[in-house]
Amino acid sequence: MVPRLHLFAVAVALLLPSLPGQAREYTHQKYFEHYEGTATCLQCHAEEARSFFHSQHYQWRSATAKIVNGGGKEFGKINVINDFCTAVGPSWIGLTNNSRGEAISKGCSKCHAGLGRLPEPGESPEQLANIDCLMCHAAGYNRDLYQRTDGGWEWRPVLWKNPEGLDSVAKRIGRPTTTSCLRCHAGSGGGPNFKRGDLEYAVTERDRTFDVHLAKDGAGLDCLDCHGGSDHKVRGRGADLFGDEMPDRPLGCDDAACHGSAPHTVEALNLHTARVACQSCHIPTFAKADPTDMVRDWSTPAYHQEQDKWSATITMAKDVVPVYAWYNGTTRAQLPGVAVTRGRDGRVGMMLPQGDRSDPRAKIYPFKRHLAKMPVLVGKNWLLPIAVEEFFASGQLDAAVKKGAEEFYGVKDAAYEWVETVRYMGISHEVVPARGALGCLDCHSPKGRLDWQALGYRGDPLVAAMRAAHGKR
Amino acid sequence: MKSLLWIGVVGCLVLVGVAMAADKPADGRELYKEYCKSCHGPNSPHGEVTPMSLIVEQWERFFAEKLEPSHRSVLDPKHDNRPVLEVITPEMLKKIKEFAIEHAADSEHPMTCG
Repeated sequence: MVPRLHLFAVAVALLLPSLPGQAREYTHQKYFEHYEGTATCLQCHAEEARSFFHSQHYQWRSATAKIVNGGGKEFGKINVINDFCTAVGPSWIGLTNNSRGEAISKGCSKCHAGLGRLPEPGESPEQLANIDCLMCHAAGYNRDLYQRTDGGWEWRPVLWKNPEGLDSVAKRIGRPTTTSCLRCHAGSGGGPNFKRGDLEYAVTERDRTFDVHLAKDGAGLDCLDCHGGSDHKVRGRGADLFGDEMPDRPLGCDDAACHGSAPHTVEALNLHTARVACQSCHIPTFAKADPTDMVRDWSTPAYHQEQDKWSATITMAKDVVPVYAWYNGTTRAQLPGVAVTRGRDGRVGMMLPQGDRSDPRAKIYPFKRHLAKMPVLVGKNWLLPIAVEEFFASGQLDAAVKKGAEEFYGVKDAAYEWVETVRYMGISHEVVPARGALGCLDCHSPKGRLDWQALGYRGDPLVAAMRAAHGKR
Repeated sequence: MKSLLWIGVVGCLVLVGVAMAADKPADGRELYKEYCKSCHGPNSPHGEVTPMSLIVEQWERFFAEKLEPSHRSVLDPKHDNRPVLEVITPEMLKKIKEFAIEHAADSEHPMTCG
């Protein structure tokens, strides 16, 4: 490595003129001269590093007060099994190449704000030094996976061989922008908008008709304008997320500082707000630019010739109409190491919103309903993860399921079968301006989008109310 | 007779396609690979340089002030050893610069040139 580093430094030195005094002024220009990794940040920000270390964004787990069967334990993507890439543990870090020698995966840690170590619950100097502050705070920071001399892997700035460039980027410190948040939150699940559906890269480029909150000609908000909390804790919890870092400061449209509980000039609309979430009318569709993953069948490998890569069979959809369900802010989760429970539809509920018509805390919310086919351990009926990294390259599904079972549960040569699953994912982004919101007939008509019976009504409650008002049954 | 006619039509279409492909201007990435990578590829004695080797500010300074003096006597081995600054036209250079800056280390899409 050293000779190559020298070569590069010579090349850069030859390429670049020495122009003292012409360096641009960045926010941290005066605080340090040379960036020497996280240690440079820790000199002044040790307390901030500790708060970040304990946050959900570093630990990838947190307290689960809103998970009705959480049992007081901490859960998060680090220790559960999901129906997208299944589990973090077997796929944390490492380079997977296809048969052409091209990189097709680098592990889940690509989106962890650390330099490659698996987060541990206990604070230590090694864990604090593992924090990659620049990932969220430095505009223009990019990193890549590199192999250490001991054979292990770590994330490094792509400018690690260009100290002048790295110093420049490391001094551009600021509050995380929407662009930096979207790098992970819009790209999760394997591709652009695969996972969430309502968080797309396009939100920073489109006009207010796409997302009235984030568009520059709309409210011009950044993610942190709504989700910013304190001590690296984030406000707001999606219905299918485990943790809620700030339960004392819940995030909602009806916050007095935003829209209040009676935001409409038409009283008939304000009458809805007690039982219908704002998102239900104001997000008519999601996945408006990039299609989103609606069904992921892990039992049927699919080969992609262009990328020379295997994946599950994924069914994508664009301009998706949400499904609607009651939600009181709590969720029932399918936990690892617990026998799967099938619902009336025969599917295992990965994340199910709680509440019904009789629950005064519940409102009707819009959801992305994600279906999947997942392996379960015969006998125990535990969900199994898949060691996806090797599977991406080889397509050897059986080996990948068995490796996942061994790494996650310590079960060797696992016998497994397949189950169908369902996950309800809250839709809260891509809010359209008022004139684009749903109208009365979008729900209250024979062809309306709400399944009234599934919501606990005999039929359209407006029809029932009008019949009652006119003395008819 | 009919099949001969079809062969003629297909042949013409192929020739038109080839001509169009030849006329199609190369993009910045292709130009970078063709004219820069030959001396600045992996393990090169001149040092590997890709768009994401430098930040935008460095690329701007390079094209404004350093390219000409540092490449004045460089001959292009891929193009008959002609002086590289003669081989690369101003139009080509503009595209190479745009590609390098668009994919610089501090851009939204940093990349090598493949």
